[in-house]
Amino acid sequence: MSTYGTTRHHHSPAANFSNRDRATDYHTTLFRRLTWDGTVPLEIRVDPKELPANSDRNLECYFVQAPRVSYLPLLMPEIRRFFMDLVFDETAAKDLKDEEWWFETAEGTLVKWHWPIGLIYDNHTISASLKPTSSRSSTNAIPLRLILHLASPPNEKLLLSPSPEACKQAFMGQLKEADFIRWGSTKRMTGLRQQDQDGLWEGIKEHNFDDYWRVASKVTPTTAPTRAQSPVPPSSSASMVNRPPSADPGGPSERDGAYNVRSIPVRLYVPDGPVIQGLVPPMIDDNTPRTLSHYLLDHIPLLFPASPPVPPPSRANPHPRPPPVPRPAYALVQGIVMPLETEMAWLGGCLAGADGWVNVCIGINH
Amino acid sequence: MTDSADRSLPSWASSAISETNEEALKALQTYKKKDADKVIVRFKAVGNAPIMKQNFFKITSSNRFQAVIQFLRKELGYKGSEPLHTYINLAFSPAPDDTVANLFKSFQTDNHLIVNYSTTAAWG
Repeated sequence: MSTYGTTRHHHSPAANFSNRDRATDYHTTLFRRLTWDGTVPLEIRVDPKELPANSDRNLECYFVQAPRVSYLPLLMPEIRRFFMDLVFDETAAKDLKDEEWWFETAEGTLVKWHWPIGLIYDNHTISASLKPTSSRSSTNAIPLRLILHLASPPNEKLLLSPSPEACKQAFMGQLKEADFIRWGSTKRMTGLRQQDQDGLWEGIKEHNFDDYWRVASKVTPTTAPTRAQSPVPPSSSASMVNRPPSADPGGPSERDGAYNVRSIPVRLYVPDGPVIQGLVPPMIDDNTPRTLSHYLLDHIPLLFPASPPVPPPSRANPHPRPPPVPRPAYALVQGIVMPLETEMAWLGGCLAGADGWVNVCIGINH
Repeated sequence: MTDSADRSLPSWASSAISETNEEALKALQTYKKKDADKVIVRFKAVGNAPIMKQNFFKITSSNRFQAVIQFLRKELGYKGSEPLHTYINLAFSPAPDDTVANLFKSFQTDNHLIVNYSTTAAWG
């Protein structure tokens, strides 16, 4: 693994905690790096009915390993180049306008421009999990097969145009919405200089981790390495914390940290179903962080029922664990099946997408 | 992150699994049902945007935000090409496919969802 950015220092408990100087600890940076580097395989083919005359049908598929945190409109230049240069006959293709190009999955579902590619992929994975023939045990990622249409986009349903400007606006909107969810205002985002705000999108366009996080680290809360080691923040400036720092030394105390947000920006995707969003406070009470298990029990209890109680310890079984139960469903974040003990605040700090949102996709077990 | 104890199941659990799977699919049907509930949306004009006679509306919560924008356009008598920008709580523009239910749950104040509208981009 390469070095984690040029400006990161190891967490120093004695450091003065100003937003700008705050060091991002190794653990958080590691997971952000893994998220950033995550990719999914896409297989793009033009609808055979729409192939311009004299196209080279031997090259009808474009394969790309696309970053999870990126967007289809940003891939359009390379997709366009492939099809225009290698596949389409120049004369037959000269009237094609790529602002009229749009995607469907092989199953006929319209693909949304403004969703991160990783979300499009995971949403497809969970939709496939509904079909009896699917198998989750496969360790090789199956390419997401997309059909590229060259004309007549269904604008009513697409809702957004694929222009780079519209894509950027949608992205910035999501970042602001996430900021508001966390703190009840978008002050942190709007407080960034215009150059910095633009830098976020540039980081996505160029797929540059350091450029993106140089700005994002100013607005994204981190999780302290072990909360017991975090120093109590200075009380001189106005506190954004809704509740006072816990007197318990094990409690979270970094003022702008992931455990002090009002709510974690998270959305829940039910396969072929609704997207669910609501307020998700990081703590159940002063000492108990909210886990994925709590979150899923709150929103979709029929799919994630509470665990049966642990049997009392006995001589024969001094360290009892809850009895294993068949689980109807699983939760994917960034394509990984999440242990249900995962803390929501941790997800918010470490496994969110580049737009600030944690996307939890629910698949059905077989 | 520790391994869940659920990963290896005893053999007696296998028939339980297909029942569980059926229950899961039934559960999904429950969650897919569209919410017929309505929530209160309060429209607030910003800058030179025209003020409406009526500002509070009950909107079905399963509607996408796109439907709210179209509703507002109709109420204002705006054609498709006239610029209209919408924001929640004077802070951000939601994605057009965000549902009113989700926006209400996340951002409501005093039991209504505030939608600001202007003819120029303000908090874009």
